[in-house]
Amino acid sequence: MKKFLPLFCLPLFTLCAQVTPERLNNAQSDPKNWLTYWGDYSAIRHRNLKQITSDNVQNLRLDWIYQTGETGAFETMPLVVDGVMYITAPKGIAVALDAKSGRQLWQYKHSFPPDRKLSGVNRGMAIAGDRLFMVTPDSNVVALEAKTGRLLWQIEMAPYKAGTHYGSLAPLVIHDKVIVGISGGEQGVRGFIDAYDAATGKRVWRFWTVPLKGEPGGDTWLGDSAMRGGGPAWMTGTYDPKLNLTYWGVGNPGPDLFGEVRKGDNLYSCSLVALDPDTGQLKWHFQFTPHDLHDWDAEETPMLLDIEWRGKPRKVVMQANRNAFFYILDRETGEFLTGRPFARQTWAKGLDDKGRPELLPGATPTAEGARVCPGLAGATNWMAPSYNPDTKLFYFAVREQCDVFYAEPPVYTAGKAYWGSVFRGATDEKEWGLLKAYEPLTGKTAWEFRYQKAPWAGTLSTAGNLIFAGDEDGYLMAFNAQNGKNLWKMNTGARLVTSPMTYEVAGRQYVTMPSGGALLTFALPH
Amino acid sequence: MKIPLLALFAISCLAQNEQDISSGKALFRSNCAFCHGLTAAGGRGPSLISPRLVHNTSDTDLTAIIKNGIAGTTMPAFESLQSDDVEHLVHYIRTLAGSEKTSTTITGDSAHGQQIYASSGCANCHRIGNQGSVYGPELSRIGAARSVDYLKQSIIEPSADIPTEYEGVTAVLKDGRKVKGVRVNEDTFSVQIRKPDQSFALFDKAELTQVAPETQSLMPAYKRLPAKDLNDLIGYLETLRGGVSAGKDADKAKGIH
Repeated sequence: MKKFLPLFCLPLFTLCAQVTPERLNNAQSDPKNWLTYWGDYSAIRHRNLKQITSDNVQNLRLDWIYQTGETGAFETMPLVVDGVMYITAPKGIAVALDAKSGRQLWQYKHSFPPDRKLSGVNRGMAIAGDRLFMVTPDSNVVALEAKTGRLLWQIEMAPYKAGTHYGSLAPLVIHDKVIVGISGGEQGVRGFIDAYDAATGKRVWRFWTVPLKGEPGGDTWLGDSAMRGGGPAWMTGTYDPKLNLTYWGVGNPGPDLFGEVRKGDNLYSCSLVALDPDTGQLKWHFQFTPHDLHDWDAEETPMLLDIEWRGKPRKVVMQANRNAFFYILDRETGEFLTGRPFARQTWAKGLDDKGRPELLPGATPTAEGARVCPGLAGATNWMAPSYNPDTKLFYFAVREQCDVFYAEPPVYTAGKAYWGSVFRGATDEKEWGLLKAYEPLTGKTAWEFRYQKAPWAGTLSTAGNLIFAGDEDGYLMAFNAQNGKNLWKMNTGARLVTSPMTYEVAGRQYVTMPSGGALLTFALPH
Repeated sequence: MKIPLLALFAISCLAQNEQDISSGKALFRSNCAFCHGLTAAGGRGPSLISPRLVHNTSDTDLTAIIKNGIAGTTMPAFESLQSDDVEHLVHYIRTLAGSEKTSTTITGDSAHGQQIYASSGCANCHRIGNQGSVYGPELSRIGAARSVDYLKQSIIEPSADIPTEYEGVTAVLKDGRKVKGVRVNEDTFSVQIRKPDQSFALFDKAELTQVAPETQSLMPAYKRLPAKDLNDLIGYLETLRGGVSAGKDADKAKGIH
């Protein structure tokens, strides 16, 4: 096995690689820094910082703001490494900031050829050594020098064509590889997950999330439908260094709402795949929603935890899925351990002993429309959950919203959306949302807090007995992790569409959240 | 069989035309039908099959309306639609124009309708031009914005479709007092209400014991209005197409003629 070679280290001139593989493996015990999209490889999103606590959080105040000057959804997850913060903004922008003051150190702008679309969300960067990695709206992976923002290499994941593939996620670095996935599940793409050499940008492997005829799983697609089968991978995976396996959610099959042209289970859409990061080989897969007809991508966080399961220690992966069920799987084998609904759902009677849903009638989209809960955006979505090892609770955002799904045979036109008809919000009730504190093993709700609208922001857990969360009206909030009491709130002025994070520099703990075009950072008064 | 070149061209144009219309129909269903109805006969948005579409005088105008929306109304800008899609959409809407049945037009006496409007107290809640209250929806352009069927239903059965921006709510204070009005805005921690006297009541939810949504419209149902009066009233409302004092100036300012 090839090992990542750290750069030659000159202590006097502090030219060492900043972020070694060991440092990434141990990110959970380095709570002052935020080294991956999830903070660490497991995506537990609980940080052992306790300057801000449930006793003093009412004093939390805005410390600095960084204005990106960009419009469009600002979904970045900042990285913080030894006092420097790295963020992305829409339109292929990367920025380095002084994490204490918000002052800019450098800015990089991706160079788009003249005919290309400039907008597009981006969820942040990955760091390894002295290098940062991000994807661009026109499906490039770029590597930047962390000190200066200088472009080191750039490579295209897929040939550019307007309205097809695009890039949006934060990459995941494992050893010497930069792992990324492609977006475009509504555009009739064939999805994949790629690994690129961190040093050169050369592609090392590709895992097609939609197999073709003759390949394992290829017989789960009618005719040649797999060629337009979707299955994007638009959220960062997680990683278990001991098992050396990386876990990636796969998105919806296409056309989204019309299944007749793609009869079969449509592997590996709406599945979790466990891959060997060195080779891209599939170790196992688990499909949450076979032959999905409601756009229920399995892009929700695959959180890795070591728990006691029926009296024995077990390495598991947990996911609160968009289809309204909460799953626990064995992450060595993919074995289904348990799955329960956590929100209202009208599509499945339950799950069988292998975790396969037993369908209810009336949930298939029709020309006249079928009312189904959850709606297209799901009972939760990509916004991150968190888990507090002290309370043993899983904290996540729940969307209570139903849709009417229509189906119509689609015509595939490259560059155009490939929905297979439309969906509309159910008008017989108003949507709402919940912050839910959930016992993963029993399925019991320890406490919940009701939001006015279905949220698009995730949660953060800290050792200060706090849960930070955001809602659709723009409130950033702090709750007592044990009892759910709302202890602090601030109206940030724009809907919140990512998850809060925390870090510490020079003895001071900060909490950061993007809102509108601004990055807001909070701290206790000096 | 030999087909003259021109005929072939015509057939190919026709086929292209049909494909464009069907693509326009699909686009209409996914983007427009929510307000204008699946058959374009109107709903919350105006009917697009009426012979007189007030906003459009040409394909260029219709294209501009789709792309830019109409300021001051709930018609949004469909900026993300590609230009060939807008073209197909305009093409499809054109095929619908004038297909409205004559049964939904109204023959009421609008002068008498205006008296009914005055004597029924409509202006206590609604505004036409500068006259009346802003508690309920403004009616200066209602004849252009809503179909006859929708207007009729709104008068005799106002709870059948309550516009989101006019939903009623009752806030219950800790001392038991109740404040009822239009919910102007509400979030997880606060609620903003417009009272019947047109002033605002603004609350933190922490001051309240309850925020209860009204299930019925704040507008009373005029079920006992005699059929002729109802017909005349609708006849009057149908004449309201923005040509009323301040309403007209506002339309001009918005670029609507």
